[in-house]
Amino acid sequence: MSNKIYIFTNLHVFSCTMIEMIKNAIVPESRDLAFRDRILKTDVGKKIPTCIQCGICAGSCPVSHEMDYTPRELVRMVQLGLKKEILNSNTIWICTTCFSCSVRCPREIRPTELMEILKPIAVAEGIKNKNSKFDRIFSDVVKKTGRASEFLLISKYSLEEPGMIKQAPFGLSLIFKGKLPLLPDKMEGTDELKAIFEIKASETKEKEKKEPAEKTAETEVEAGK
Amino acid sequence: MPENGQESGTQSEQAAKKIGVYLCRCGGNISDEVDLQAVADSLKENKDVTVIIQDYLCSSQGQEKIKKDIEKGKVDRVVIGSCSPKMHLETFRGIARDTGLNQNLLEITNIREQASWVHGKEGIDSKVKGLIKGAIARMSSIEPLVPIEKKLVDRVLVVGGGIAGITTALELADGHEVILIEKLPFLGGHMIGLSKTFPTLDCSQCILTPKMVAVKNNQDITLFTQTEVAEVQGSPGDYSITLKHSPRYVDIHKCISCGACAKKCPAGAIFLPFAQAVPQAYMIDMSKCKQCGDCVKACPRDAIDLEAKEMKSTIQVGSVAIATGFEPFDLSVIEEYNYPAPNLLDAVEFEEMLSAKSKTGMRLQRADGSFPDRVGFVLCAGSRDFTGRGKKYCSKVCCLYSQKQAQLIKKMKGDAEVWIFYIDMRSSGRRFEEFYHHTQEKGVNYVRGKIAEIIPKPDNTLMVQYEDTNLGLKGREIFDMVVLCPALIPSPGTKELADKLGVPLGDDGFIEEKHVKLDPVSTLNQAAFAAGCVLGPKDIHDTVTEGISAAHKISQFLGKGMILIPPEKPVIFECNGCGESVKACPYNALSLEKGKAVLSPLACTGCGICVPACPIKGIEIRNFSRNLYKAQLRAILSEAPGVIVFIDPYAYAAADIAGVNRKQYSSLVRFVSVPSIHILDADVVNAAFEYGAVGVMLIEGTTDEKLTSRSDELYRKLKKETRKHKKPLRYSHIETAQYEKLTDLLNVFALQAGAKAEKRGKKEQAETADDEIKE
Ligand SMILES: Cc1cc2nc3c(=O)[nH]c(=O)nc-3n(C[C@H](O)[C@H](O)[C@H](O)COP(=O)(O)OP(=O)(O)OC[C@H]3O[C@@H](n4cnc5c(N)ncnc54)[C@H](O)[C@@H]3O)c2cc1C
Ligand code: SF4
Ligand code: SF4
Ligand code: SF4
Ligand code: SF4
Repeated sequence: MSNKIYIFTNLHVFSCTMIEMIKNAIVPESRDLAFRDRILKTDVGKKIPTCIQCGICAGSCPVSHEMDYTPRELVRMVQLGLKKEILNSNTIWICTTCFSCSVRCPREIRPTELMEILKPIAVAEGIKNKNSKFDRIFSDVVKKTGRASEFLLISKYSLEEPGMIKQAPFGLSLIFKGKLPLLPDKMEGTDELKAIFEIKASETKEKEKKEPAEKTAETEVEAGK
Repeated sequence: MPENGQESGTQSEQAAKKIGVYLCRCGGNISDEVDLQAVADSLKENKDVTVIIQDYLCSSQGQEKIKKDIEKGKVDRVVIGSCSPKMHLETFRGIARDTGLNQNLLEITNIREQASWVHGKEGIDSKVKGLIKGAIARMSSIEPLVPIEKKLVDRVLVVGGGIAGITTALELADGHEVILIEKLPFLGGHMIGLSKTFPTLDCSQCILTPKMVAVKNNQDITLFTQTEVAEVQGSPGDYSITLKHSPRYVDIHKCISCGACAKKCPAGAIFLPFAQAVPQAYMIDMSKCKQCGDCVKACPRDAIDLEAKEMKSTIQVGSVAIATGFEPFDLSVIEEYNYPAPNLLDAVEFEEMLSAKSKTGMRLQRADGSFPDRVGFVLCAGSRDFTGRGKKYCSKVCCLYSQKQAQLIKKMKGDAEVWIFYIDMRSSGRRFEEFYHHTQEKGVNYVRGKIAEIIPKPDNTLMVQYEDTNLGLKGREIFDMVVLCPALIPSPGTKELADKLGVPLGDDGFIEEKHVKLDPVSTLNQAAFAAGCVLGPKDIHDTVTEGISAAHKISQFLGKGMILIPPEKPVIFECNGCGESVKACPYNALSLEKGKAVLSPLACTGCGICVPACPIKGIEIRNFSRNLYKAQLRAILSEAPGVIVFIDPYAYAAADIAGVNRKQYSSLVRFVSVPSIHILDADVVNAAFEYGAVGVMLIEGTTDEKLTSRSDELYRKLKKETRKHKKPLRYSHIETAQYEKLTDLLNVFALQAGAKAEKRGKKEQAETADDEIKE
């Protein structure tokens, strides 16, 4: 009898390795309670335990269908402390900060600001995926020119994301039609801008010296709001 | 001057008193925060006092102990330190009654709701010590009084002609005279606008009409439609209430509903509200009427009077039942629903289409008359919302009635598509889960997820956007009709009526029950009761249960024939006939007879306005005299400086609710109960400052305009006359429901007053230091 179960379990494990598994079961090890409590302690986090999973946020969100977890699911995952899934999700990068979810949530939970808290944590944790890459390149371009240059953005991103090569013909046709200016637009006084970013960066470093890295990300966001 | 409070005070001070102080641990509820032994020790020096610490004084064991002590002659006055007097004063007064002790000689000091539940350990011991010492000081000089008996008027006013009011009236009519008033031109409330009723699907009108007719035919019930309460005078047990009757222009007693008038009317202005309406009589919509008079000529019974005016009448009643029900929340507030729009209804409108009040011949139809083949229901519209946009509470009936409505559509057209968008399907209650199951079997599509947006389309269909939360997928759907199930809110006018009767509301706007669980249809006004949705959303079954309960409670109340009213009334021990107090009394309880002020105790509410009004200080309220207050204040502040908060009974209830909700505030706060803040004058407030109060607050909770209209003036006067102390004085109005506002205020004030006192302390210290150096 117990032999049979053993075989069955083995078979099951075997078949799982054959079939591509997309989602893992939630087990005690997947929950990071320190991470959860850290989020719940923030201003936005305080309300998170009262989420009723109504889905108004996801129903209102213009891009929730592009997300691997909808804003509602992200809130639920914070309740559980599923740190790995949260920080690796594309949700936090895809959010357009339109605030539709936050305006309509009946429990005053502000998913928009939750994303803003999670992003720096993901960066601090060194998590890289195509969405976070895009975010980083975007901010690099802005730091340098003070403007968003679509051409620079796309070309730099393509270098890091080889899959983008498929989009090349489309990009070319845009260039020919004059929809994608090649020369980056630059604002005046980029030196001042640079100085601003430098001050901010050194401040962050200072803080990091005083406090553990994790904490900095959080305080920065809170101060930034 | 034997009745003089001061006099009897000095008298009794001379006689040796045996005051028993009983401190309750309350199973740790009190003793976990307050060191009761330390409190007892602080009383050792007072030879008049015996202190006993016990667990659960309210238990039979605890009560027995007090009883024995009184019977054995160990104590002849009792101070109890326990929960709020609102909770157990009656319990403990029972002991007094049983042992023959005068009821006034037993008082409770609230050290739970207003101490251990709202402060941490810091400063709490000295607060409780002070409060108990204050109570002892008070008890030493209190005089035994006998409650005054007042005859009750054996007649009841029922306000609201919905199923709650109808039930209450019918149940009472067997033995009592009832006046039932309804604001609309017909009886039935929302129930007459329902189609079928869950969970049994019987027709609403079929079960309600016999009841409405019974009201009409009952000898003991007088029914007034289009009538509201205009004014309330008198006091519990003996009210004189002015009713306001709006004109119908048709005499309901003469009209035989022949319809001759309507045939002649060129404007369609005269009509029968609906076929089954009670009373059965036509009425005129004056906004349409052209005053041509054709109907008057056509009427064979001479029932029409186009000149009819609003009328007033006055009735005498002993008790009032509030049954004003609910109304749907205005959903246009929730912008993303785009309500109202064609074919976007609220559930009440949907019901009415299929009810006795139907304007479509009970046909379910869209704006263009076609049948809706695809209908979506949105549950919790405006409910369960903590943002302030909607209502926090669940409206309780939507889960069930939306399924009823879904079943009705399926019955009309089997292949119609019906979707119910829900967050949680709440079907607790007998026969309800079966009802849910049955609706599922009928093929209704349930979506777990609340609709996020409704977009009306040019073709009058409605596009909805939502997340199917079971799948984590966003969805979009087109419906022919969307029904929003709105939050249910108290009907407009409920607050005004409650204010007139001195009945507090909860922070949700519904009537506050005397006790949520144990006394659910009584209110804080002993002569006012409530039933139905004015106590919160509920179904017909529960509404009727409450109607029957309220009738029972009222019958019990009136059955006594007498009501005991508190004996704490003014004593006029010196009068020069100036008439100032007579002028000041808002209830006409004082008059000048033979050049002296005379009191009619039954009219007097004991508010105390006459006390400061008398220029020669010739009036005191019994057991609330200036000297008694001063003695109490001196004792309270003898332990440590604090903030003295004079608080009236309504605001006191708010402080108790704050306690129940464990809303923390500064332990500097010491409440001193006053019948109303208007009993106070500079004499008492200055005394508080002299004895060490760092600040004084006046907190008023009553909604009686006769009192509140004078509060500003009182505050300004006191401020001026206590200025010399340079200490903060503040006035605030807090209704019973506003307990959070109360604790916020207390905290801010205590902080300010405390800081100010500290600053002053330092300055004084520096000054004395300076002096020392100089010396
Ligand atoms: C859409 C919908 C469907 C429902 N379906 C069901 C169902 O299927 N089964 C079920 O059990 N329950 C149902 N209910 C609940 C049911 O309607 C209530 O339980 C019931 O109507 C409550 O009765 P009530 O007398 O307390 O209040 P109401 O019905 O609101 O009656 C109050 C009356 O008081 C009058 N009034 C208000 N203010 C004043 C004033 N100041 N002076 C004088 N008169 C005043 C009003 O005009 C009204 O006539 C439904 C509710 C809704 C909203
Ligand atoms: S809208 Fe608010 S309550 Fe509803 S699921 Fe999203 S976060 Fe939770
Ligand atoms: S703020 Fe972000 S998550 Fe919220 S609705 Fe907009 S895009 Fe979606
Ligand atoms: S007076 Fe004329 S318009 Fe007015 S209700 Fe009578 S018939 Fe109609
Ligand atoms: S206590 Fe109030 S009601 Fe009574 S006589 Fe004085 S002023 Fe009038």
